[in-house]
Amino acid sequence: MQLSTQDMDGGITGVELDGRMDIVGATAIDLKMNLIAGSVKKLLIDLQKVTVLGSMGLRSIMLPGRAVLSKGGKIVIFAPTEMVVSVLKASNIDSVLPIHHDLAAATAALQ
Amino acid sequence: MNATILLTETMHTEGTVKPTSRLTLKSQLDDMAMLWAWVAAIVAEYAIPPDTAFGIHLCLEEAISNVIRHGYSSQPGHILTVDCTSPNARELFFTVEDQAPPFDPLALSLIEELPAPAPEDLLRPGGRGILLMRKFASTIAYQRLENGNRGGNRLTIGFVLPQ
Repeated sequence: MQLSTQDMDGGITGVELDGRMDIVGATAIDLKMNLIAGSVKKLLIDLQKVTVLGSMGLRSIMLPGRAVLSKGGKIVIFAPTEMVVSVLKASNIDSVLPIHHDLAAATAALQ
Repeated sequence: MNATILLTETMHTEGTVKPTSRLTLKSQLDDMAMLWAWVAAIVAEYAIPPDTAFGIHLCLEEAISNVIRHGYSSQPGHILTVDCTSPNARELFFTVEDQAPPFDPLALSLIEELPAPAPEDLLRPGGRGILLMRKFASTIAYQRLENGNRGGNRLTIGFVLPQ
């Protein structure tokens, strides 16, 4: 599981995740994700390279999500695959962390 | 001891179906990589389409992480097995067995029957593994095993293969 970050226009922090967000992948990124969430208010989580998303991987999104939202910040999920979308929707996460497949719409939602 | 993979032919004998393939794992995260290699070989052998393969990966991830985290309390040194059986061309079953204390993950399915959570609760982690298994598997069944003093748990997860 790989994690990379980039500073985007508008004060947005982009986090790109790459690989399997299973119990092993989640263990690898949890600390980094929580550190990032503790220091930003506009977070874009790019899931387009995530191949599997399990409940432990969901946890790796939900805990940072709570941290950002609890301080009045915003967070969006960007470009997950169709199957990853089905996991997010089955878990009802999409009602709190909106999903966007268009980058312009994703960044606009964070403003 | 490394994880072992035993490959045998599917055998139909008086109504019993022997495993097509068996994987033995230790209760540690390092062994999960062997699981994915094993699943990838099965996906290729049966020409399983990507969406069904995704469901198999997801359900086995949930089942085995449940055994490691809950059944064995994240303690190394324990063993679990995963069997793959194909009783016919339309179905594939994965059976996860352990020697842990009684633990019925399906009992947690009561979570699904609770009222819809408040928005602030939607980001509370936990309790989604079984919900996801029920969504992506065709069938799922739990059985408590009584093997002398050891006992164990068996979770059988079924998938219908597109024709």
